[in-house]
Amino acid sequence: MPENRIYEDLTLVRRRANAVFWAIAVLIFLVLSYYWKVQILEHKKYTALAEANRIRQRVLAAPRGLILDRNKVILADNKASFKVSLIRENVKDEAASMAGISRLLGITEPTLRGRVDLHKDSPLFEPIVIADGLDSRDVAPIESRRREFPELVVESEPQRTYPNGGLAAHVLGYLQEQTPEEIRARPDRQVRAGEMVGKTGVEREYDDTLRGEDGSVYEVVDSLGRVRGTQATVHPTQGGEVILTLDADLQRIAEEALEGREGVVVALDVETGGVLALASYPTYDPNRFITRFTPAEWSELMTDPLSPLENRAIRGLYAPGSIFKLVMSMGGLDSGTVTPETTAYCSGSTQIYGAIRHCWFTPGHGAMDLSAAIKNSCNIYFYSLGRKMGIELIARSASRLGLGRRTGIDLAGEKDGLVPNEDWKRRTLHEPWYPGETISIAIGQGQLQVTPIQIATMTAMIAKRGDPVRPHFVEKDVEGPPAIDPALAFMKSTYEAVIAGMWRSANEGGTGQGARVEGFDVCGKTGSTQTMSRESAAKLAQAGREVKTHSWFSGFAPRTGPRIAVTVLVEYGGGGGATAAPVAGRIFDKYRSKLASEAGR
Amino acid sequence: MMIDRRLVREIDWVLLALILVQSLIGVFFIYSSSHFIPGAYHVRQLVWIGISFLVMLLVLAIDYKYFVSLSGYLYGLVVVLLAATLAFARLVAGTKSWITLGLMQLQPSELAKIVMILVFARLFAEYKSAYLTTQHTLGALLVAAVPLALIVAQPDLGTAMTFIAIIGGAFILAGLRKKAIIVFLLAAIVLGIGGWHLALKDYQKKRVTTLINPAGDPKGSGYQVIQSKIAIGSGGFAGKGFAKGTQSQLRFLPARHTDFIFSVIGEEAGFLGVVVVIALYFALLARMFLSVSKARDRAGVYIIFTASLLIAFQFLINVLMIIGLFPVVGITLPFLSYGGSSLLTTYVACGLVLNVKMRRFANV
Repeated sequence: MPENRIYEDLTLVRRRANAVFWAIAVLIFLVLSYYWKVQILEHKKYTALAEANRIRQRVLAAPRGLILDRNKVILADNKASFKVSLIRENVKDEAASMAGISRLLGITEPTLRGRVDLHKDSPLFEPIVIADGLDSRDVAPIESRRREFPELVVESEPQRTYPNGGLAAHVLGYLQEQTPEEIRARPDRQVRAGEMVGKTGVEREYDDTLRGEDGSVYEVVDSLGRVRGTQATVHPTQGGEVILTLDADLQRIAEEALEGREGVVVALDVETGGVLALASYPTYDPNRFITRFTPAEWSELMTDPLSPLENRAIRGLYAPGSIFKLVMSMGGLDSGTVTPETTAYCSGSTQIYGAIRHCWFTPGHGAMDLSAAIKNSCNIYFYSLGRKMGIELIARSASRLGLGRRTGIDLAGEKDGLVPNEDWKRRTLHEPWYPGETISIAIGQGQLQVTPIQIATMTAMIAKRGDPVRPHFVEKDVEGPPAIDPALAFMKSTYEAVIAGMWRSANEGGTGQGARVEGFDVCGKTGSTQTMSRESAAKLAQAGREVKTHSWFSGFAPRTGPRIAVTVLVEYGGGGGATAAPVAGRIFDKYRSKLASEAGR
Repeated sequence: MMIDRRLVREIDWVLLALILVQSLIGVFFIYSSSHFIPGAYHVRQLVWIGISFLVMLLVLAIDYKYFVSLSGYLYGLVVVLLAATLAFARLVAGTKSWITLGLMQLQPSELAKIVMILVFARLFAEYKSAYLTTQHTLGALLVAAVPLALIVAQPDLGTAMTFIAIIGGAFILAGLRKKAIIVFLLAAIVLGIGGWHLALKDYQKKRVTTLINPAGDPKGSGYQVIQSKIAIGSGGFAGKGFAKGTQSQLRFLPARHTDFIFSVIGEEAGFLGVVVVIALYFALLARMFLSVSKARDRAGVYIIFTASLLIAFQFLINVLMIIGLFPVVGITLPFLSYGGSSLLTTYVACGLVLNVKMRRFANV
């Protein structure tokens, strides 16, 4: 390359480059002298700082707020418990320590390591919780072997306890440890790892109120892990109280009545919509969730065929059976399809659309008007009413009474239920509506699905002669009852006519007479729903097997100035009059005596 | 790609040895500061040193003149990559500086540093006057401004500062008149004030105010500086011993094996260790800078100077940053900090210096 043979004159640039280098050299020297100052002249000061550097934050867990019933009976409380933490810095031989602790606490080694690994990047002197919810008996062996395990710290912390055991378990819900994923998903909530938070029920719904604010102590720890002093203490603040509309006495009676069965009792304060009792059976003891389940216990609960964790009152979907005759009556009267005086004749069976349909009372009820039809729960009357109304009018009436959608109760997980109509069937099943289906719907069978809380809410609304009701547990948090479009309101007279039938059912020897309470004017309606087709039921019955239907009762009392609405569902309970009505009767009776004693005071 | 035997003889073996010694010291302290967390960072660093060394050899094999002639295309490529990073990269820790190509993660701003060395060598190679004219100054500024703006937008303050240092160095070499220096200083002040109010994020402002008063935010951004200073100061004269520093072993120090590796050295090897590492740096930089006398042409001088300045600047900022004399801007310590892409940039820059130095005889 010939052009390169002539060297350029680079003196100037070289001189500048050298000057910059020497400037850098001076800077390097200055840097070194500053390091001299910090490392040699100020060494003592920084050594002291390094020693006292170890500021350890210890969390003082806040007790959760109390949950009380309407009479300030404590339903959820706190008690002192113990937790064991591991300080990795004090571990001498990791393998031996892990094995020893695992034996001492009865935790498997992988579980133990898993809990420790969650915090692997925090400073070594920070305690990691490896077991909590222990009582003094559990920690005694740990305390007695302190010398062997200098890496363990035992501290006390408040722990949730439910003094009444399983009482109102489905209302209260239970607590569970927040998983790391859940903590990451909601960074705004500032939940610390391992904190127990409400998973279901009121504990979940009002978790923000119930959770207190954790306090903390900043402790200065020396290089041997000894606490040298406290820097600042922030005391924990207990969470806020939640006062429920629940009445512990009614709740207890409701649960006792259901004992040994599967079913639901819901009692609403008609005036406010407050839930007085809500029992779902079988149930569980929420205390058991606090001291972590063994895996076996947990899978037992989860796979129990009777699903004790499920709140049947808001999540159980059932056919309403004859309870639906109230909807039919309301719709029929309001639309003018029938009047209270319209009569029909029941001979025990009838032929509709070419099929023989039976009344539950084979000899037949004879001629009767609407209130007698409600009282006797006569199928024939409602078959003919259903045929006259048609599915669209029936579905609209059900929807106007709140069926097919959530009541909005302050409990998570409520189900919608289903009120079928032609459009629904075309969309989901791609099939036309058959007239025979309307006849099944007329007596609350077919594809209809309701939850007990919907039936209770509807009953309260009937009791209030159309005033809307929103069931709830906490008075102040409720949005107020849903507004009703005046165009969708039923005429007042329809309510009186239907209520007359409900009164006769309980007080004039009707199907609901089991719920009758002397001097309390109970109005109600029973229902029993087929859990299988009539044909297979007949076959089973021939084979000598007992075929039991789900039994319903829903009613309110007293007839004028109503105070309480009660809905009872007993799975496989047989006839509603025989099984469900007496359960409701016990609630009505207890409530009446409570009202009387209140008035006496 | 044959390398002439005479060329091999001209390789600065002392410089090469200094580079490797410094890197191995880094590996030791990466081990010390990270052996208790999973990741085997020291092993990964060794692999990166191997890769970077091979790339450096590759850089040596090709005449730097060829790189300089390619600098126009490289410049275009870097601008496109930086723009693409800005447009497509995911936000990592608040900045968009990484792009993923298949399995490989690229940090185009690192590549940009190298490319700017070549671009300025080319821009100023033909410029033989003692001082820059206004026209030339503005032209060179424009060339530098495009990638710089894209880096500032990421935002990657540390890289942007390094960038400005290289550019400033090139200008000084090309010759700035007093008037121009005053204008630059004024512009810097105006941009500084404007940038503080308009461009800097809150966390970045905090890092600057923390410098003045680290105790003002002891649990936040001041924490790193305080812990680092405690580590260095408590190291004393001889240090606490290898892998025995409480500050590093008990995880008080943040970014122990990356940005704050020198604090670990200060704590565990004491002032003695600090002197050794800084002396090695001094020798390294002297060997690099002073080889401008060996460059056969102007482009060579620029390459040696800006490449050396790149390493000198990052070294100085890092050792000032960790002892609280400069805001924490995320500049790694060349050769010693853990990290593949910083290591690669450093080795390529050294490769360019060696390249120029070994081709000092024009007729080769």
